[in-house]
Amino acid sequence: MDRNRNSIAVLEPSKIIYEGLLATVSKSGYDYVFYHVDNILELELLLVKKEVSVVLINPSLVLNRLNEFARLKKQSPDVIWIGIIYALFDQSFLKVFDDVFCIADEHSLIIQKINKIQNNSLVHNGEDGYLSEREIDVLKLLTKGMSNKETAEKLNISIHTVNTHRKNIMDKTGIRSLAGLTVYAVSKGVINLD
Amino acid sequence: MFISEKTYITKDKKMFDLIVENHSLLLCLQHFEIDFAVGGKTVDELCLENNIDPGAFIIVANLYNGFMPEDHALNTIKNIHSVLLFLKKSHSYYVRDKYPELKYYLEKLKNNHNSKDHQLIERFFNEYFEEVMEHLKYEDEVAFPYFKSIQHAHETREKNSFSVNEYRNHHTDIETKLTDLKNLFLKHIKLESELNTKRRFLTTLFELEFDLKIHSFIEERVLIPVIERLEAELNG
Repeated sequence: MDRNRNSIAVLEPSKIIYEGLLATVSKSGYDYVFYHVDNILELELLLVKKEVSVVLINPSLVLNRLNEFARLKKQSPDVIWIGIIYALFDQSFLKVFDDVFCIADEHSLIIQKINKIQNNSLVHNGEDGYLSEREIDVLKLLTKGMSNKETAEKLNISIHTVNTHRKNIMDKTGIRSLAGLTVYAVSKGVINLD
Repeated sequence: MFISEKTYITKDKKMFDLIVENHSLLLCLQHFEIDFAVGGKTVDELCLENNIDPGAFIIVANLYNGFMPEDHALNTIKNIHSVLLFLKKSHSYYVRDKYPELKYYLEKLKNNHNSKDHQLIERFFNEYFEEVMEHLKYEDEVAFPYFKSIQHAHETREKNSFSVNEYRNHHTDIETKLTDLKNLFLKHIKLESELNTKRRFLTTLFELEFDLKIHSFIEERVLIPVIERLEAELNG
């Protein structure tokens, strides 16, 4: 629902471990939405329905289902996979994860791992909400009722580029309907309503 | 299923406990025309007493508690009347209750301050309001009679006037604009007006958004699959 909040899915059968992680991360002051799933099927379902940035995984749940896990990773290439370690695993197996942490690790270290990976890889869609000059040009024409094609011709760019700008405008403002964008544009003085 | 701090509702749960835990269920009861004086009755008992399909009730009530139904759960719905009743009643809740409420607060916001932004928002809302009313009318007059006719195989059906896709597109529009309105208020436009009215407006917006989400989920992911199943049974 809220596109600016990052989500963490935890694939872990133990509710105690899950709740511990939830409490640890929530108390750290970082803002994540949490989902708990206890098998790989549910995880797959969740990844289809929600935008998840990080999956924390109990490695034993994928140990014997590596093919399935590989497929899942392929389906959701942007997700970061972190193993939750509380038993001995073969080091070569643990390479299927982007990172691992041990439940005995310091809280701060665990949080650091989740956040570090997050910030390195996630392209943030301008949470400040300011539009670039080009985006404003596109917004102007679109809210004047021009089609993507007309906008592209007028600005001498490809339709594909118009679409990208359009998507960025929507992501930055959180407004998706043309009528809503018009209200935004008029209110911000981008266009005049006459 | 996904994390939710609320109880997963089953037929033996006591309705009283469920309401105390999540009072949005009152709205769910209202849409099923079940009175709030539930005493010590279980979900099953209440459904029986009110002539509501328990399978349908449990699926819907669980959505209010944040649980999506498993696919096989849809097979527990024996009769779509209860689902249709729920949808119809939620329509009248939108038409008679929530949208007029939003309109009222918008008026009130404008009362003391009439700026360009007020006019913009009002215009956006009024156009949106028209669209919603039109859609609800379409559902009441075209979609629901169609759904109803499926349950009665002997009645003649007018298939052509109805399209599942059209139905879906309408919904997406309605929800998108509602979210837009929320984001305009929370992110971009600071209307000059008293906070209390603004908060009430937003609270109503959130309540409506919550109920509309459940509403479209039920129509698209519960009603339509169940109808398709019933149709298949009919033809086979």
